[in-house]
Amino acid sequence: MPLIPRLTSLWRNLFHKDRVDQESSEEIQAYLDLLTEAKLRQGMSPQEARRDALLELGGVEQVEERVREIRMGRFIETVWRDARTGVRALVHSPVFTVVTVLLLALGIGANTAIFSVVNGLLLRPLPYPESEQIVDVWHTPPQQSFPGLDRFTVSPANYLDWKAQSTAFEQMAVYTDTRLSLSTSNDPLSLIGAVVSSEFFSVLRSNAMQGRTFTPDEERPGRDQVVVIGHGLWQRAFGANANIIGQTLTLNSRSFTVVGIMPAGFEFPREAELWIPLAWDDNERQVRSDHNYLVIARLKHNVSAEQAQAEMSTISSRLEQQYPEANKGWGAVVIPLREDLVGDVRLALLVLFCAVGFVLLIACANVANLMLARGANRKREIAVRIALGAGRARLVRQLLTESVLLAVTGGLLGLLLAVLANRMLVQLGSLPNSGDIGIDTWVLGFTLSVSFAAGILIGIVPALQFTRTSISETLKQGSGRTGGSPIKQHTRKALVISEVALSLVLLIGAGLMIRSFWKLQNVDPGFDTRNALTMSVVLTWIRYPEPHQRLAFVERAMEQIRAVPGVVSVGTTTKIPLTGGGSTQPFSVEGRSTAAIAEQPMAQTRYISPDYFRAIGIPLRQGRFFSDQDRDNSVPVVIISEAMARRFWPGENAVGKRLTPSFHLEQGAREIVGVVSDVKSSGLDADASAMMYLPYKQAPLPFISFVVRTASNPESLIQPVSKAIYSIDKEQALTNVQTLDQVLSKSLSGRRFNMTLLLTFAGVALMLAAVGVYGVMNYTVTLRRRELGIRMALGAEKMDVLRLVLGQGLTLTLIGVGAGLISAYALTRLMASLLYGVTATDYLTFGSVSVVLIAVGLAASYIPARRATKVNPTIALRAE
Amino acid sequence: MARKQVDLLQGTLDLLVLKSLALGPLHGLGVSNRIAQITKGTFNVKPGSLFPALHRMEEAGWLQSSWGESENNRRAKYYRLTAAGRRQLDAETQDWQRISLAITTALKAT
Repeated sequence: MPLIPRLTSLWRNLFHKDRVDQESSEEIQAYLDLLTEAKLRQGMSPQEARRDALLELGGVEQVEERVREIRMGRFIETVWRDARTGVRALVHSPVFTVVTVLLLALGIGANTAIFSVVNGLLLRPLPYPESEQIVDVWHTPPQQSFPGLDRFTVSPANYLDWKAQSTAFEQMAVYTDTRLSLSTSNDPLSLIGAVVSSEFFSVLRSNAMQGRTFTPDEERPGRDQVVVIGHGLWQRAFGANANIIGQTLTLNSRSFTVVGIMPAGFEFPREAELWIPLAWDDNERQVRSDHNYLVIARLKHNVSAEQAQAEMSTISSRLEQQYPEANKGWGAVVIPLREDLVGDVRLALLVLFCAVGFVLLIACANVANLMLARGANRKREIAVRIALGAGRARLVRQLLTESVLLAVTGGLLGLLLAVLANRMLVQLGSLPNSGDIGIDTWVLGFTLSVSFAAGILIGIVPALQFTRTSISETLKQGSGRTGGSPIKQHTRKALVISEVALSLVLLIGAGLMIRSFWKLQNVDPGFDTRNALTMSVVLTWIRYPEPHQRLAFVERAMEQIRAVPGVVSVGTTTKIPLTGGGSTQPFSVEGRSTAAIAEQPMAQTRYISPDYFRAIGIPLRQGRFFSDQDRDNSVPVVIISEAMARRFWPGENAVGKRLTPSFHLEQGAREIVGVVSDVKSSGLDADASAMMYLPYKQAPLPFISFVVRTASNPESLIQPVSKAIYSIDKEQALTNVQTLDQVLSKSLSGRRFNMTLLLTFAGVALMLAAVGVYGVMNYTVTLRRRELGIRMALGAEKMDVLRLVLGQGLTLTLIGVGAGLISAYALTRLMASLLYGVTATDYLTFGSVSVVLIAVGLAASYIPARRATKVNPTIALRAE
Repeated sequence: MARKQVDLLQGTLDLLVLKSLALGPLHGLGVSNRIAQITKGTFNVKPGSLFPALHRMEEAGWLQSSWGESENNRRAKYYRLTAAGRRQLDAETQDWQRISLAITTALKAT
């Protein structure tokens, strides 16, 4: 049919429905008349002819209904009318409607919230054009030196060789993140910035919003005093003034000319707000053994990450042969950028996503049960409609429209909940790129689809059941309470059993996370986190080029801090434990064969002041701490950790032995003067690594972290201690000012986030399952009133009745728990890598959670059971 | 009707309706009478299937309807074939002949 008549017909069917209906009714009437006349002519009596014609026609209403079904536009019209009928029906039972909508809003809202996180982090493309072409390239370190470590930062000479020899990449860039202190009229601002090669922005295909990015020329030392600033910083610190371009800023005591402003949302590496050119001098370009840089690259269009990987492996092994001293065992790995950014949170997010899915399923089961209960009262209405000629498909559609209506309303409300939940998630969470989390069209689409699916899920079982009822039976039963058919009770019970099973799986998941968290919290970090403060500073090269200047700064700073009332002791190190990263270096042991640097064992290295161990609370095991006498012109010394002593001097006394850290070859072998106890440097869940401590006076680096032990609440000392340091040099910005307790707490934030969410979902699930059990048992008691009344009339005691009902509730719960245990056993192993110190099938968790659930099931059956004992036999028998 | 009546195959109803209207416009009862007549009573189309079919085919653009007077001065709705309806009839006739030939051949095969 051509378009125009089709549209006219649609229009007619939709908006001139009465006229169309009337016409078809007239048409059928005319047929009836003609048929009657024909029969009259055959010699029948008028009554006979009429009756015969009617019989042959088979019911005017039914024919009209079927014609109506055929008409185009019928579908749309039906939906519209069903929706109206649905709304009317729902308004009639406001309690049901409100409860259902809230249940669904909770389930859909939680799903939307987690989906928007999944969407932002895992699904949505990164905010760089053709971001799937961007990869990170890392070193893979030699496994004997770095067991378990699969990626490592890159050295300048190796990067330059990679760049020169590879063909898989359109472009390759190198960068490193850095702290920059921006001088202002007040205290300096400590900002996260990046030192980047000129290709950096074109690898990301990102241009300056105003001004420009860097030219290759600016990679040369002396030409590099230019800076590109981030949109956020531009607004925050410079009042969004476009004239900032061309002006100079003082960063780390050097002046830089602003050449560009990046657009909002450009934040690479994470949280960076300033970019300055990377200018290696000729000496730095030769460095092959010091790995400090990150590499990103853009794949050519027809090249896959695997092909690039193959090429990089070839180049790496060539470099290994060419420079065995530095490169033996060092490979390269190509990892898609997104994988690198969110790889760590992927599993946790998927577990959470499953968890909310379960919550929604439980909510749906509850709603389906509510609908079944309500349906018992609507049976008559439906029977009447079937008798009046409504087809079964038509009725199912009507009932589904109603449930979808409920679900979509719930979904809209859920969307509101999700917006609120997202804010909480971002605050609670240690999520990368949290700026990407929000409601977009994908999230909207997801919510809508989930709502529809939920609507159909909750509607289909009741709809199919109601329409299967026998008309005459239902109509005959009159207004009496219609008992649920046995089939329906089975469905209701099956729903409740699955609710119990699903919530058991969730509870076990949450239980495992809690047990992991507890175990972790009881892990001794190896130092005393109470009443201690820490803050860091990176001394700028321009003001502190000489070691003695850096020494002088540290000495004066510690003097000033010690003078602050409330300070017990103060020490310095180069990296606070549990804050991630830290320097690692190879070393050789005196008297053992010396291998090439690339094959030497490695140990984490810290440069500390004599008081550091006392200030942070690391106990001495053997030998002595450093003293003020350990200085640049005295005997070179080193203190090692127990783990290092055990690993390299098993069964021996390490004190008195000598080793040579390869970054300090010129000072020769160092004597081990002490062994201290281990600290968890890279995380509570990691093994303590081999660690060596060098006296900072024998190697004064510009990275300084103070540890201040205080007599009382450390937070009250933040101000005076910061002031004490700024009194020496107000251009050296302090960063990471926090208490050691905060450091500890932050190191667990990811796990806390996962645990809190999973626990919340499990709690909701438990509550919903309890409501489900209660609902079914309550309904059962109502249906069995008569029977219970007879039992009591025949002499059953209250206890018997109580036991009867509780037993039924318990059976339901037990079947659910059994099914749940089996599913949990299969599912929890998927989250094994999120756990610490417990196995995924930890019987204690499985057992205790089952007990909790059974107890909740019993409690939920208790109220209906109590009600059952209060049945008055006379009244119950008379009521029917 | 002495002869045994046969249930209509899915799709054949359309063909019979189109065929019965090929000779000229008819109202509903006329169509069902014409079908009974041209199939020698084998098919007796009931209004319950006839009217939905007529309306569906009208929506499909194969038929056009208008009100008119019946033989004995009764108001009735008349259906007639459109050009598209004629093309449909040709197409369905050819299809049917192919099918029926194939089935007959198949049944004759030993």
